[in-house]
Amino acid sequence: MRQERKADFLASLAQRRRSLAKGWYKFSRNPLSVIGLVVLVLIGLAAGLAPHITPYPAHARAFTNFKEAGLPPSGEHLFGTDRIGRDVFTRVIFGYRFSLLLGIVVLGLGVAPGVVLGLLAGYHRGTWIETAIMRVTDVFLAVPPLVLALAITAMLTPNLLNEMFAIALLWWPWYCRLVFSVASSLRSQFFVREAELSGASESHILFREMLPNCLAPILTKMTLDMGIVILLGASLSFIGLGVQPPTPCLGTMVADGAKRLPGEWWSTIFPALAIVIVILAFNLVGDGLRDVFSVEEV
Amino acid sequence: MAESILDVVNLKKHFPTKRGLVRAIDDITFHMAPGDTLGLVGESGSGKTTTAQCVVGMYAPTAGEIRFKGEPIGMTFKRRSRPLKGDLRIVFQDPGSSLNPKRTIKQILSVPLKVHGIGTRHDRLSRLKALLEMVELPADEYLYKYPQGIGGGEKQMVAIARALATNPSFILLDEPTSALDVSVQGKIINLLLRLRKELNLTYLFITHDLSLMRNVSSRVAIMYLGKLCEIAPTVDFFQHPWHPYTRMLLSSIPVVSDEEEALKPTKQSSKGEIPSPVDIPPGCSFESRCREKGVRCSQDDPAMVEVAAGHFVRCHSAGEGDLSTWGLR
Amino acid sequence: MALLEVKDLHVGYRIFEGDLHVLHGVRLEVNEGERVGLVGETGCGKTTTVKSILRVLPIPPARVMSGEILYRGRDVLSMRPHEVRDLRRREITAIFQDPLQALNPVFTIGTQLRDILKDSTLHSGGRRLAKKEIHSRCITALEETGMPDPERIMTNYPIQLSGGMRQRVCIAEALSRKAQLLLADEPTTNLDVTIQDQILRKLDELVDEKGSSVLMITHSMGVVRDLTQRLHVMYAGTIVEVGPTKVVMAHPAHPYTQGLMRSVPRLTGAGISEGIPGRIPNYLRPPSGCRFHPRCEHAMPICEQEAPPFFDVGESHLAACFLYRR
Repeated sequence: MRQERKADFLASLAQRRRSLAKGWYKFSRNPLSVIGLVVLVLIGLAAGLAPHITPYPAHARAFTNFKEAGLPPSGEHLFGTDRIGRDVFTRVIFGYRFSLLLGIVVLGLGVAPGVVLGLLAGYHRGTWIETAIMRVTDVFLAVPPLVLALAITAMLTPNLLNEMFAIALLWWPWYCRLVFSVASSLRSQFFVREAELSGASESHILFREMLPNCLAPILTKMTLDMGIVILLGASLSFIGLGVQPPTPCLGTMVADGAKRLPGEWWSTIFPALAIVIVILAFNLVGDGLRDVFSVEEV
Repeated sequence: MAESILDVVNLKKHFPTKRGLVRAIDDITFHMAPGDTLGLVGESGSGKTTTAQCVVGMYAPTAGEIRFKGEPIGMTFKRRSRPLKGDLRIVFQDPGSSLNPKRTIKQILSVPLKVHGIGTRHDRLSRLKALLEMVELPADEYLYKYPQGIGGGEKQMVAIARALATNPSFILLDEPTSALDVSVQGKIINLLLRLRKELNLTYLFITHDLSLMRNVSSRVAIMYLGKLCEIAPTVDFFQHPWHPYTRMLLSSIPVVSDEEEALKPTKQSSKGEIPSPVDIPPGCSFESRCREKGVRCSQDDPAMVEVAAGHFVRCHSAGEGDLSTWGLR
Repeated sequence: MALLEVKDLHVGYRIFEGDLHVLHGVRLEVNEGERVGLVGETGCGKTTTVKSILRVLPIPPARVMSGEILYRGRDVLSMRPHEVRDLRRREITAIFQDPLQALNPVFTIGTQLRDILKDSTLHSGGRRLAKKEIHSRCITALEETGMPDPERIMTNYPIQLSGGMRQRVCIAEALSRKAQLLLADEPTTNLDVTIQDQILRKLDELVDEKGSSVLMITHSMGVVRDLTQRLHVMYAGTIVEVGPTKVVMAHPAHPYTQGLMRSVPRLTGAGISEGIPGRIPNYLRPPSGCRFHPRCEHAMPICEQEAPPFFDVGESHLAACFLYRR
């Protein structure tokens, strides 16, 4: 009996490994996606190990050193120093920390409710449940995202937490709509009908039958959205409504440095490039994911 | 009717649409005894699929009754009891979409077992293997595959195994082999016939393939535009088809030998289009395409008449003349 | 010279797991004025063959490994794009399984028919036709296919018509091109049986009248029986048997054809056979020698070693099977 169960477990594992291998093959056919993935992994590692790999971790907190302010890029300061003497390179790496954290938390908070509501609306298509959910979604989608984010952060004290909360609130409607369109076409598939007629519970049908078929567009969108969320966070900080100094944030750094263009270009250009690179990397990985999930016709 | 397993009495199912009232099923009555295999045959708009959907609980009837083992079941699956849902099962037509592409065969077959609380967690694995063995698929290989990795015929076998998981007594087969190649069809049909004997099952077969029914069913019923045209035991049905539509259907079948060609009725070759179920004119619904219509046909809807033992026909000409003059030609 | 000749065609597909060798030496012939059938089950390569003839194979992932497709002696596979277009415009026309996909949903039937008529008369050296004449030719084409009330149909959109009527429109479109060769790929599979019967009989009539040649591709033996004179049976990318249709069906020589004919449910009520044991081969690692040998009850040692050539089994009747080696 135990031997049987062990064989069963190993066989399931083998199947999973096969699926992953196939997925990797499809992903790796596009060299750009692989480059994007490598860049993301590097950025992720750097952000995670920030205190240990940056030359001046103290510069990420309250620190001033006017003697070394405004220095151009050199051997000691890879990206130069900003107007109060802090090492730009260190602050960029720490800035990545917050950007990535923002992306993960926002998507974590915003995607799940959107997906659940989308599944419900799709399954109960044609009833008041669908109407209620989708009309509320429409209302949220009607408001321009930046305006809504501004409004919320302005109402509450500007800090990282509130910024995350505001953006998360913006995000769920998109996932609701995406999942709704997939779910409502799944609704009429025979395997869903069969589950219903067998007597399966609604939660089984929503999460075990329908959700796995929605994962592909959800994951792809999440990857592409990371870039957008980071940009939105940077934009809010750029206007001063996000993370407050002295916490390093890429957007704020760009804003501060912009006043000093074209003279001390390094304090703006490097943070800006950092934003571009991380967003580009996410987009490339997202493209690769789309290839992974596409079904080949033979 | 002594102890029938399924009774459909004066069943009607109407759908109100923007274009008018669609009378998908318009007063049909038939009974099935345990162990029967009834072939319900029809083309588009005949109502055969809607009938299956009412029996299995996707729709509730607009009027009329459906009784299963004497108990009324004219309600949707939401109101049906769990034991009923396990006793009356369905195998769908399209193997491609009746199995969830993102779940393994093991997960797919586990669902009815879990939902109906069959077996314990410990013997689940052996029950799954037993199910696959019943449909002659090698369990160790197939449990972990995804539907995309197996052929159409095998998918249908998994669908059948899934239907059998709850030990049903009645299975509704909605065109189970229409999407399959003819060389695979034989395997599935023979499997179904063997299982019927071994497990004492009753089948309601929905199909458009009369040649198949000639070899599979014990009785055949023809539907046209929501009404039953003819219903009879198989051999009698094919040797003495009465209704003009039945004979039109038979004469349209593409056959593969001269022998069979000789069995087809000649005078009722197909003509006309199948009308839309929205605009059914008064009188007999088949009147517009019938080659043998009379005066009454455009005015009165005919009633079912028994022309021979167990052989019912809904036509004004039924009961006039004797059976031998109607024959096949 | 035959109208259409497919000579030893080999076509492959590249997928994740490797290279699929799908068509393995297909040979096919359609003579002028002849009606030929190509019968085979799912995955045997019929659609790939049709796509190769029409030059609509998706290259890559597909590729033609070797072989020729000769239309009136000219190799279709090496034609340049404008030559292929001419071929499709004037010589070879096709009707497909799903008329809803073949017809453009946003244009009326009239618009589509007129376009085709204008295009075909212009490029066959005809003069430009007046509007009235184009319209009346369209009506005639529709009437010929047995369409009731053609004037009204011309103003309808494809979605407003039934499946049978749409297929009649496709036939009208195909025949109005006055092409020499008509490729019909499962033209009635999606239709109801009584409508299928009408369409097939009408097609039979019209092809007779116009003297076109037909290549009918289907999985239904019953459909080819009435419509074709000669039949090719295809299995796993090769032609296994070819001969006069009724002879092949009544006296199948190749074990696969025999298995197929046994599997068809008969109106005589003889019961249903167990079908053909085994599965269609995996094109990644196809069986060596004869591709059918793993499923064949008459398999001999040589069947695994060499691919069988055609052997004579009767009048104009060939089978690719070592059972008939003399």
